[in-house]
Amino acid sequence: MTTAPFRESAAARDGVDVPDPWAAIEACYENGWTDGLPVVPPTEKLVDAVLAAGPWKPGDVLLHEPVRDRAVTAEKAAINAVMAGCRPEYFPVVGAALLAIGDPAFMLHGPATSTGGSALMIIVNGPVSERLGLNAKANLFGPGYRANATIGRSLRLVLLNCLECRPGVLDKSTQGWAGKYSLCFAEDEASSPWEPLHVSRGLSAGQSAVTVFAAESGHNVLSHGTGDPEELLTCFANEMAGLGSFSPGRSVIVFAPEHATHLRRAGWTRLQTQRWLYDHAWRTLADLKRGGKVEPAFFTNPELTRWLYQDTGRGRPPVPDTLVDPARVREGDELVRVHRGLGPDDILLTVGGGDAGGHSAFFPSWSRGRSVAFVTKEVPA
Amino acid sequence: MTRILDPTLRPAAPAVTAARASRPKRFDGLTIGLLANGKSNGMALLDRVAERLAERHAIIEFVRVAKTNASAPVLEEDAEMLAGRCALVITAIGD
Repeated sequence: MTTAPFRESAAARDGVDVPDPWAAIEACYENGWTDGLPVVPPTEKLVDAVLAAGPWKPGDVLLHEPVRDRAVTAEKAAINAVMAGCRPEYFPVVGAALLAIGDPAFMLHGPATSTGGSALMIIVNGPVSERLGLNAKANLFGPGYRANATIGRSLRLVLLNCLECRPGVLDKSTQGWAGKYSLCFAEDEASSPWEPLHVSRGLSAGQSAVTVFAAESGHNVLSHGTGDPEELLTCFANEMAGLGSFSPGRSVIVFAPEHATHLRRAGWTRLQTQRWLYDHAWRTLADLKRGGKVEPAFFTNPELTRWLYQDTGRGRPPVPDTLVDPARVREGDELVRVHRGLGPDDILLTVGGGDAGGHSAFFPSWSRGRSVAFVTKEVPA
Repeated sequence: MTRILDPTLRPAAPAVTAARASRPKRFDGLTIGLLANGKSNGMALLDRVAERLAERHAIIEFVRVAKTNASAPVLEEDAEMLAGRCALVITAIGD
């Protein structure tokens, strides 16, 4: 296949001129503007329609990445949203998600570039979900819904095009995963045993919101055999305690409606569930050492040293290791319980998926360290 | 012809607002900053660099700063301290 010729435009808005839609798609590839899939060519008309659907002026900065001092304006965001395939009315959600990942607490530089290869998870709450047709049900993380697919994709295109997170160059993900194309879904608020996620994070039910997280690939938590909350949650805690993903970082649990129903029937609160999971998702310090998960750097970071030794169980607190041979299993290490995360608040609970099936998901944070915070932002009406 | 718009920041890359610092011609008599980026072995790498430099030059002092998180920018107060005390700063990632 040959690429149709295009030329640099001398007009006020930077771009290229193309003779037809096919040439436009090819020009986007030629310029390195895609995630590998074809994009919708961002014509001025489409971009202006998207910009007009949000409350921002073209020059408003929606995302500032401080490590490399890059500012993404609403106009650039709109261009990428068009390319991702968004309808104009999706743009307030895209803009809110950009504001969220630009929050200093999110520390975007790591999720955008690190070997950990995280996806930018967007959980949508409030009236906007139904209005835009965002999927909260069957095939929650899979294909089939334009709003889910294109809102999530918009963020990735912004990272590729505006922050230059090119694979293998600035994006050093060792493996990455498919969620890096797009990972956006609505909470199934009707199936949740609890208040909507954004309400638990301080907004009102009438508001719409996005909550973002930098997620390692999801782990399926399969349980069809019990309705007892503790038996059910044992499966989750076991998955959270797996050595491969074990870290002091945060977690997202997406309960399938079936699992959520068990918790609702038993009257388990959000906090009770978070606390139970935190209390039971642990490995002994000896286990961590045997798996090579205890690094010298943990002992020069007071937060991580506390994390290792904050639950000494019934045993006498051991003398913390020093920089010398921290991986050696010492007397007392079998009694020290190291939990996933620093506390129950580090476990974000949400609900989504098809009504049939006992398949939930655990998304660990992406790094071996503390990683990033959850950030929630209101979607402008 | 239809115009499609550039989605990148390339045409509007931020202007360089700071002048490049002058390069010292010799290391003798200098105080040198060592800024580890927050990865596990960044400071270990810098310590080795410092050892080598100290063997070859009459360095007055090394000032060490380790970021606690590799994803975050260096703290303003640390950057100012390094700028105030050091003739040059060496930074390293060490995973």
